This record gives sequence, structure tokens and C-alpha cells, in this order.
Amino acid sequence: MAEIRQIAIYGKGGIGKSTTTQNLTAGLIEHGKKVMVVGCDPKADSTRLLLGGLAQKTVLDTIRDEGEDISLDRIMRTGFGGTRCVESGGPEPGVGCAGRGIITSINMLENLGAYTDDLDYVFYDVLGDVVCGGFAMPIREGKAKEIYIVASGEMMALYAANNIAKGIQRYASTGGVRLGGIICNSRNVDRELDLLRAFAHELGTKLLYFVPRNNIVQRAEINKKTVIEYKPDSDQANEYRNLAKAVIENKDFVIPTPMTQERLEEILLEYGLLDNADDDYRI
Amino acid sequence: MTEKKKKYSVISDVRYACAVGATNTVVAIKGAVPIANCSPGCQLKTTAMLTFENAFQGSVAAGGGNMPSANATENDVVFGGIKTLDELIKSTLKVYEGDLFVVLTGCVGELIGDNVPDLVSRYQRAGFPLVYANTAGFKGNNLYGHEVVVNAIIDQFVGDYDGEKKKGLINLWFETPYYNHNWRGDYQELTRILRGAGLEVNVLFGPENPGVEAWKKIPQAQFNLVVSPWVGVKNAEHLQKKYNQPFLHIPEIPVGEEATAKFIRQVVEFAGIDKEQSEAFIHKEAEIYYYYLEHFSEFFAEYWYGMPSEFVVTADAAYALAYSKFLADQIGLIPKKVIITDNTPDKFRPAISEYFRDNISEGVSIDVVFEEDGYKVEKLIEEVEFTAGKPLILGSSWELTLADKKGALFFEITTPSSETLVINRSHIGYKGALQFLERVYSASVGGK
Repeated sequence: MAEIRQIAIYGKGGIGKSTTTQNLTAGLIEHGKKVMVVGCDPKADSTRLLLGGLAQKTVLDTIRDEGEDISLDRIMRTGFGGTRCVESGGPEPGVGCAGRGIITSINMLENLGAYTDDLDYVFYDVLGDVVCGGFAMPIREGKAKEIYIVASGEMMALYAANNIAKGIQRYASTGGVRLGGIICNSRNVDRELDLLRAFAHELGTKLLYFVPRNNIVQRAEINKKTVIEYKPDSDQANEYRNLAKAVIENKDFVIPTPMTQERLEEILLEYGLLDNADDDYRI
Repeated sequence: MTEKKKKYSVISDVRYACAVGATNTVVAIKGAVPIANCSPGCQLKTTAMLTFENAFQGSVAAGGGNMPSANATENDVVFGGIKTLDELIKSTLKVYEGDLFVVLTGCVGELIGDNVPDLVSRYQRAGFPLVYANTAGFKGNNLYGHEVVVNAIIDQFVGDYDGEKKKGLINLWFETPYYNHNWRGDYQELTRILRGAGLEVNVLFGPENPGVEAWKKIPQAQFNLVVSPWVGVKNAEHLQKKYNQPFLHIPEIPVGEEATAKFIRQVVEFAGIDKEQSEAFIHKEAEIYYYYLEHFSEFFAEYWYGMPSEFVVTADAAYALAYSKFLADQIGLIPKKVIITDNTPDKFRPAISEYFRDNISEGVSIDVVFEEDGYKVEKLIEEVEFTAGKPLILGSSWELTLADKKGALFFEITTPSSETLVINRSHIGYKGALQFLERVYSASVGGK
């Protein structure tokens, strides 16, 4: 039996990590893979599309209400195509320590034996940036060895991606974590593909896949479904199938080479993001 | 030259507790109750370091093993510890009859950002005498915590004052309670001396503290007297700003007749009170002191077996200075090494070094070393080459084995002290100096 591929998805807040992860998961399911998705975000919305709604009681809510003596079925639900869904959850906004919450819940999953041999993939959908040790938990030794950063051609998304690469670099020297590439969740900005390619190249990695912008994604979300489930015949469903294929076939895993702020600004300038001030911005 | 302060990630054989240990500052105020908002281990270890393995001083009703503690666990980290603290405060208010309650928040609450000020201020608005203090261990040791707690009580409990000041009334800022195991006796001796000299002493800690009313009286004092190389200066500066109250900072805790007489004259001069009473007091105390010393001098002159002539002191800044000076200046022993282990803040180090160089005794100067790592303290003492007589080492329990190896006379003067039990003892002022001599020379004649 092959080793479980444990994958962490990082990226700027609001970039579409959860949407991309769940649609990618649906693509993998169609390829016959067994997948577990672990949401590592206090908002607990990483499995909504796979479960058809926010029906999940989080690991931390369960621990808070019932203590630590719980069984796996209390915190794990089965979603689209047999996907196993877990939400780490977190404290109320503004109190406690969400980072420690992630550590607590991942430890709990391990103790309860959630990582069974029949799994092909485990995804950790992690909130925003690698802001502290807790949010780096999924990439510590023995957990996710593969990382994809979701980004777009927007400046702040690339700043965040570069910061995340710094976090990966730190853990890469002690553990086995590697960057598998950048997934572009397109925002239709100028020369986005070129920019993302150049950015990925500078980080020492590649643009794994370019997911074009399509409103069908929003429609599927309103219907609490992945695109593959909502409109299996649509072009966008095919894009996610292709993304899944790219992940399955990916063999390029690197220690990223994050750039200095100055270099990042240079690349942004080179690809026209910071000039053309007189142009029409409408997209 | 003052060495640059080293930043440690690890030290061995610590000689202080973390900031949460300032729970004992609260315990030292009659009628005050500490509420330890920290992990169970933090409360236990700081209490053990300061009241148990420190001459087994014990504690009062709301201290030691009875101290209210949040015993924060992982749930409090993840979800925040405010609910647990709220329950603890409610229970404490039910169980303890207190005049003042101080919540000391340790690393857990401070790291995750629990909004303790908000919770405590709700109790304050409801009229409860509750105070909060940020005493996270990562911020500093129990001496740091002591100063934080004192300022917190001043700001949140004593409050504003714009009335008259009373001439001759002084606030005494002296030792950090429980840190030096003689602190209770020392407080009494220093209070006795100041009162004898004609001053009205507002005693804020220890056996002669009347309770929280002394704290309410702080703003009325003519001035604040800080007797320590550095602990308490921050509080005096705060009081100066808050109540326009001057302070007199005397780094040296007086030990023996000469130092104490000088100390009294300095305080009386600053207070501007009549000198007749203080001079009469000095005269009377000197007479008694030298009456005893005369007897002792016969032994001192005649006994020649195993008498110490060189000494090493390793202690906090206050006692390293007080004892070194007395031994060098009054007994004529030679200082071989003096090590300060209390992590003195950088800004005080040059002045303290200078004091040790210039104010010990005529022809005697000490190059003091600041070192808090027990491993290095041991190395420093090991390197000392004693050349005459029996060495005398004064330190903590950590120096026991080394003192044995060096064939030295040894007794414990600082935390941890696991081979000493103190109920009421002092080594300062007039009476305490004689007890200190008893201890040094009991060791010389084979006792403990």
C-alpha cells in the first residue's frame, strides 16, 4: 500500500483555498481516490461543499462539550463520494488560541486513528498565512509533506504566498515538507498567467495549474455543492478534474526560495501590476 | 567595566522564581488574597521556590497550598481562560474574607490574550477590591513580578490622592517578601530602627503590616524610602509621578553599627526631622551592640582553629552587597568573589558595580559579577584560589556540594535554602548583625 499523500493548502485569506480544495477533492474522488479533508480554520467552512452544508460539529466544539473521551464518528462525517470530512474549528472570535486549537485537534485525530491505510490523500485546508506555530502544525514532521499555495495575480495574494514560502522553508530544513507548486485561482487581472509563472519560477517551483475564473463556482457554492457535483458536464468541472490529474501526476517537490520584498516588487512591476495607472481597471 | 548582559535561553540551578511568584507579595499584606491565574505547576513551583525550599518559611491562610489558583489546562488555552477565572474569582470571594484580592496572570493567559483587565474591572465597578497584574513568567522573575504587583495595587486599589503629606511619615520599600528567607525579621529590625530614630513608618509587608489601610495611607507619606540596590526603584518612581512624592534611594541594607548609624543619619537628614532623638537612639544602640561585640572579641582574638579569612558571596544584589560590605568592612575578611544572581536589570548594573568598587571599605574594592546561570556560578567559585585560613562561602543550597569540595565554611543566605529553617531571624541592622556573626562563627567552631 502506498503512503498516504498528506497535502496542506495555504494561501491568503479569501483567495479560495476551501473552494479549490473541495473541488480538487471531488476531482480526485472521480479518479477513484480515497480522500480525507481536515479543515484547519476556526470558521469551519472547509467541508461545506462536500457535506452539502455546514452540518459538521467541529473537533474543538466536541471536546469542549463532551471532553476528550470521544469516538471518531463524533467528529468525522462522510461527504461527497465517500470523502471523510473533519473540521478542527476553534474558539469564539477574539478569545483563546486558535493555533493551539489546531494542534489539539490534529493530535486528537491521530489518537483516534483517523489516518487509516486505505486513504490515498489527506488535505489540510489551513486558514490564511502561517501566522504562528499552531498554523504550521499540518506541515510539521510526520504530517503533510506536500504543500500547494493558492494564489492569484493580485499583489497581496503574492505577498502572502511569498510569506508562506518562508514558513515552508523553515520547516523544510528539519522535516520533509516540500512545495508542490502554485495553484492559480484566477481573478482575471492583467497578465495573470505570465505573472504567476514568473512568480512560481522565482520561488523555485512551478505553476501547477491555472484555474480560470467562472461564475459557476459561485452558483455551485450557493447550492452547497462542488462544481463537479453541481454541473458535472461544465467546462469548470473539467478544469477541476484536470487540476486533480495535475496533483496526482505531480513529482516536482522543492524547498522554496522565497524572495526579498524588493525582488517581489520588481516582478510585480515587470508584469505591469504597479503601473498603467491611467488604464481602465474594470474587470 | 560592566559586562554586557547575556541573553540566556537555558540556565541551570535557578535562584529565583518567575513573575507569578509575586503572589507572595500579596500574601505578605495582611488581609490580601492572591488569585493565581496560571497553570497548576506555575503556582506550585513558585510557591515551593519562595516559601518551602527557602528555609521552610511557611505561609498564611491565603498563601502556600491554600492559594486560589485557576489551574489552567489545555481547554483554557484553546477556548480562553476567562470563564475559569471568573468562576475562580466568584469562589474566592465566597470562601475568603479579604480586604484586597489580586489576580496575577501567568504565561497562559498573557500568551493567548485573555482580557483579564476587562473581567476584573467589572468586579471593580461592582465595588469589589479586586486588582489585576500581568505577571507572565516570560516577562521576568519574581522581583520583576513584585514591582508589577505593587504598581498594580497602587493604581487600581490605592487610587488618586491630592491631600496633604505628613512630615516624618515614610513608606518603607525594602525586601521582596519571602524572597530572602530572613525578610520578616529584617523588616522588623529596620522598622524598629527607623521608629527609634523618630520616624513614623508605614509598613506595607510582613508581621508589622497592619493591613491594607497601610496601602491606602501611601500617598500621605512625606517620602518613599527604598532600601535595595534596585528592587522598588520602579515603584518609587511611579509614586513620585503619581503623588508628587519624593523618594530616597539607599542601595545598601545596613548591617552592623557603623552602617546602621550612617543609614539612620542619611534618612533623618532627608526627612529634615529633629536629630536629637535619632542621635540618642544611635548612641543607645551602639552601647548595646558593642557590649556584645566586646565579649565576642575575646573569642575572635583567642580562637585560631578554622577561622575564615576569605569569603565568597553569591546572592541577589541586595544581600550580596549588605553581607559583603559587613564581612569586609567590619570583620576584615577578604572578598574573593561576589556574584549577583537576581538578573539585575541592565540599567542598574553600572551603578551597582561602581558601588561595590567604591563603597565597601577603605582599601577594599570588589569587582562584582552578574551571573544567573548556576553552571557558570559554580565555575566562577571553582576557579577561586583561597590562600589563607578556611574559606567562607555564603550562597544557596546549590553551593552545598561545592563548598564541601572546597573545604569551606558554608551557610545558606538565599533561595533555595533546603538546609535551613527560619521562623524569625534577621541578619541586618544592630541586632541582626550580631546574629549574622553568630552564624559565621558557629560554623567556624563546628556548628551549623
